[in-house]
Amino acid sequence: MSGRLVDPEGRAGDGEEVGRRAEAAAAIRALMPVLLAVLPFGIVYGAVAVQEGLTVAEAMGFSAVVFAGASQLAALQLMGIGAPIWAVLLTVFALNFRHVLYSASISRHLGAFSPARKALAFFVLVDPLFGAAEVRAARTRLTPAFYFTYGLTMYAGWQLATLAGASFGKLIADPEAFGLDFVLPVYFLGLVMSFRKRGSFYPVAGTSLLVSVVVYGIAGPPWHVSLGGLAGIAVAALLGPQRNGAGGGPGGMEGEGR
Amino acid sequence: MNAAPLLSEGAWSVGSIWVVILAAGALTYLTRFGGHLLMSLFGTIPPRASAALDAVPAAVMTAIVAPVLVSGDWAERIAIVLCLIASFRLPLIVVVVIGTALVAGLRALGL
Repeated sequence: MSGRLVDPEGRAGDGEEVGRRAEAAAAIRALMPVLLAVLPFGIVYGAVAVQEGLTVAEAMGFSAVVFAGASQLAALQLMGIGAPIWAVLLTVFALNFRHVLYSASISRHLGAFSPARKALAFFVLVDPLFGAAEVRAARTRLTPAFYFTYGLTMYAGWQLATLAGASFGKLIADPEAFGLDFVLPVYFLGLVMSFRKRGSFYPVAGTSLLVSVVVYGIAGPPWHVSLGGLAGIAVAALLGPQRNGAGGGPGGMEGEGR
Repeated sequence: MNAAPLLSEGAWSVGSIWVVILAAGALTYLTRFGGHLLMSLFGTIPPRASAALDAVPAAVMTAIVAPVLVSGDWAERIAIVLCLIASFRLPLIVVVVIGTALVAGLRALGL
């Protein structure tokens, strides 16, 4: 069976503006639950940054330039204990290494993006956006309207949350009592499960799960993410191309080994 | 470059903080752009590499979530397993709401 129809880029006409709005609305719908978790996280980051001695401008500069919450908090922690610059930067790089994999995978779906848009698209490529964009690309076509509505709204939210946290300290006394720290894990779980019809899903996810837990136990964060992820990807490479249902179009006939 | 301990006890110089911020930002952008760069350098993608890339979301996001099973509190452990089961039948947003409410509820019960 043919994989997917070759869809010519141009679909100009009256429908374009309507289509763009629909894409933006879909992006906002996908983003809402994520903001529930990201905003408190940003507030916590802003509050911690000021407590650690950063000015409001520095706390916001971090959020504006780096836009990666976990690595921002880790950098703060290391700076707080007086670690040398290279150790801070190495930690940031290790924590963010997974983005290389995101970037390689998502770049296959950015055909409709101009070079300038691509440059911006990679700047805002955070975990939830990657997951949402992959799900979108598997179902339909990934458009700039969807991608940037999701990405830039989240970016703006992150800056505002940082500002709120840095200005007013801990607005949310105890985010954990509301289970807000659980929103992102369960959101990622849901995103993962939406790929379960892909050919080698179970061996891949199973391997990543196992390796991640083991590495987490032995070496601790952040290495469990990169090593666990790479282990699952290696399994997929070993198994080779598989037929799948969730991706583009109906599955083929010849099923390879399960 | 600077091997000497940088900051401690609020003695961070303003300049060095901005150096860290800008360098961290550049490194992070490198990771976000790097995969795309590699892909365009190689041009065509062999089927095996393509299969590997298809596995990136499932592999990396599983690795992010997995430690909840060992490092989370009991509320999180119970909720993540129930949400895993629920996600076979229910849409994503519903699973997120149920999971969050479940964790909040279990914690209120003292788990």
